[in-house]
Amino acid sequence: MNALVEKIGADRIRQWLPLATLVILVVAIGIVEPTFLQPASLLQLASDTAVLFILATGVTFVIMLGGIDLSIQSMASLASVIVALTITRLGYGSFVLAVAVGALAGLLSGLAHVKLRIPSFIATLAAGGVLFSTALVISGERSITMGDSARALQEWITGTVFGIPNVVIVGLIVLAIAHTLQSKTRFGRYSAAIGAGEPAAYASGVKVDRQKIFAFILSSGFAALAGVILAGRLSSGSPTLAAELLLPSIAAVVVGGTAITGGVGSIWRTLVGALIISVVRIGMTFLGVNIFAQNIVFGAVLILAVAITIDRSKIPIVK
Amino acid sequence: MSLDTSASATDSGATPRPRRWRIASWAPVIVLVALCIIIGLINPNFFSFGNFVRMSQTAMIPLVLGLGATFIILMGSIDLSVEGILTLGAVILSMLVLNGANANDLGIFGIFIVLAVGASVGFINGVIHVRLKVPSFMTTLGVWFIGVGVANALLGGMATRINSPMIRGLAIDRFLGFPWGVWLALLCFVIALVIQNYTRLGRYIYALGGGEELAELSGIPVGRVRIMTFTLAGIFYAVGGILAAAQLGLGNAQIGNGRLFTTITAVVVGGTALTGGRGGVHQTLIGVLIVVVLNNGMVLMGVKPSVQIGVQGLMIIAAVALSIDRKLIRIVK
Repeated sequence: MNALVEKIGADRIRQWLPLATLVILVVAIGIVEPTFLQPASLLQLASDTAVLFILATGVTFVIMLGGIDLSIQSMASLASVIVALTITRLGYGSFVLAVAVGALAGLLSGLAHVKLRIPSFIATLAAGGVLFSTALVISGERSITMGDSARALQEWITGTVFGIPNVVIVGLIVLAIAHTLQSKTRFGRYSAAIGAGEPAAYASGVKVDRQKIFAFILSSGFAALAGVILAGRLSSGSPTLAAELLLPSIAAVVVGGTAITGGVGSIWRTLVGALIISVVRIGMTFLGVNIFAQNIVFGAVLILAVAITIDRSKIPIVK
Repeated sequence: MSLDTSASATDSGATPRPRRWRIASWAPVIVLVALCIIIGLINPNFFSFGNFVRMSQTAMIPLVLGLGATFIILMGSIDLSVEGILTLGAVILSMLVLNGANANDLGIFGIFIVLAVGASVGFINGVIHVRLKVPSFMTTLGVWFIGVGVANALLGGMATRINSPMIRGLAIDRFLGFPWGVWLALLCFVIALVIQNYTRLGRYIYALGGGEELAELSGIPVGRVRIMTFTLAGIFYAVGGILAAAQLGLGNAQIGNGRLFTTITAVVVGGTALTGGRGGVHQTLIGVLIVVVLNNGMVLMGVKPSVQIGVQGLMIIAAVALSIDRKLIRIVK
């Protein structure tokens, strides 16, 4: 009985820990730097978080199933290159093309994972290599800057509506779509079921393979969208544009409280996690930490968050 | 690799050969020989002594890294921290031996310090993985970026030129036509082979990969073996860092880029199964040679280096798909 009470207590703490962390961090930075709490700064924070949040949202679907996607940063970079190369010819079509390529890449790595029974981390590691190589080849191994005509087409990313940056609105739309998918559809329920216990889900008639492939399509598709937005914000595309974003994205998902073992998690948690990562980044910039050295903190945060959120009953042997 | 099921059937009979040397391990060798013949037919320059030396120089670092990674993969775990430890090792070495940024001149002691750093980071990998029960791919993903981050912080975005003749000599001075670095890599290979085949640790690693529950019940100190193996792997990556710094002549934070990918490709193409328990460092040698020969062939045929990463990605998928024993794993995550 005592153990049960303890378990519920611990679960509740785990559930609210990320949000509490976020609030404490924001307040702490607000005390040191009061301008941080002004609406303009907070909107800036939201726009800077959007790309990270969209990347993390995609990979949340895969992590919910108990898998992982290590190809998102390569996909996002490839998408930025596709946009930069085709925007003058295809106009808005270049964005659609980039996201479609993302969905296709997700389909292929999903198929490799499910049909060839290759563990997801190795299938997506390999897929990431293929995508990176593709980006290098089509871009001629260089960064492509977009001209003024392209910038006009990217108003939906860089502009503002009633003072709110469009990129924040795009982020909110992604949040709404992803949240609906995850909590209101059959796919979302099945994902949670597969993550919680794959054999049971399979035995009760869930088409496990199909759900998994769909999750990889979402992950890769959202990664491509994130790449499109990143390209718009930086008005360039390059094969290494998003290379530094893999670790923060996975960290965002896990810090938000989604367990790496699957089954437990939500898009809201990922939003909280992404905001935490952004706030930590801003905090480190205030403290003058070198941008590359920030990876030390993110790496440590990732390991710590995994250690806290992981469900050890599901993996009797940790490999 | 497809011969595997039949081989295990004969193994369960009265075959006295140890399972590590069974026939399945010959499939990669056949691939290697076939590749050499095809590329040699297309471009006879392939078989020149100069080209062999060039290939051995390309192979030495992947081989050393692959040796460490093989032990980890044999346990059924994975190590993504290869680039982190290598970069850290290369950068620290460049700051300890005679260099263009500070007055240090530790020479051979610098090398020992770098090996100790590699061992410590590997040890940290193992302790986090075993004591906190964090899956190895997550632990080492974190440590990968921590390692590169520390290297960056040490350098402050710069690169350090190495002036030590001993370190540069690893890449430049030759013995019997091959650079000393190649001989060092071969020495590492022999050491790894001895550890794998003739020490208790080697046996335990195979036992863990074959079935951890059984290994634990038979009294093997599973946690300690895991930590020791990650420490050992860290030392090999540090050697990789020393060779990389020698080859490039400097230490910078990008020195590790892309090396994880080549390492894992080499290990799985050699036929070591990701599920653990099958394979070994001798197969990794073949895997490294396959990767290097293929890259060399592509260079001889004028294929751009950027395409090679993609080809390696496809090789990983093909090799893993062929080597996975689907009867052993019902759930793939």
